[in-house]
Amino acid sequence: MAFKFAYKKFPQNPNDAFPDHKQAQRPVIPITVKYEDKEINYLALIDSGADFCIFHGEIGQVLGLEIKNGKKLEFFGVTGEKESAYFHEITINVGGHDKHCYCGFSEFDNSKLPYGILGQRGFFDMFKITMDYRKNRIELTAN
Amino acid sequence: MNKSGENMKTIQTQDLSKILKPYSNEWVALSEKANKVISSGQDLSQVIKEAHKKGEKHPVVTRVPKDYGNYVLGL
Repeated sequence: MAFKFAYKKFPQNPNDAFPDHKQAQRPVIPITVKYEDKEINYLALIDSGADFCIFHGEIGQVLGLEIKNGKKLEFFGVTGEKESAYFHEITINVGGHDKHCYCGFSEFDNSKLPYGILGQRGFFDMFKITMDYRKNRIELTAN
Repeated sequence: MNKSGENMKTIQTQDLSKILKPYSNEWVALSEKANKVISSGQDLSQVIKEAHKKGEKHPVVTRVPKDYGNYVLGL
């Protein structure tokens, strides 16, 4: 069964290349991140260019994870600088479907990263994803 | 057309650009439908507690960056 989400618009400052842009339309959806008996609803970006899922470290902390006890991975991300994430086995719920996810919790510079990242492993391998920018519509089907 | 042969219909974009703009560099708890800000601050757990105190049982949290910028993401 497919479930549908709308694209979301976020603030954006006009620039030389796009002087009229005051908003950015992005495929950001609400998910629920679960660990043991705790859960948090969180906005996350569907990012086909990301190899894996990365969430803010603070999300993991509030869920009770000992972030640095996870497997460490260094990667180059949003800032262009080397960053670290610690991977943990958690559950994400999307559109009412619980899915196991091996997800990284990062110590991103929070002033720069707005949302969680839903990448190939842990998200794209769990759902068939159709995105239609012009119709503002994202459709997911659980695999 | 999608798998069932149904054309994808246009749906309303959810515009968060105005409601999030005042909360630069803060955690924000939105209502369950993510259409209004319930609480905000630097400490995520406090932001969630405050949202619960204000009667929002299922807040949706997000981080508002200093600048949403122009992302070309890929990890």
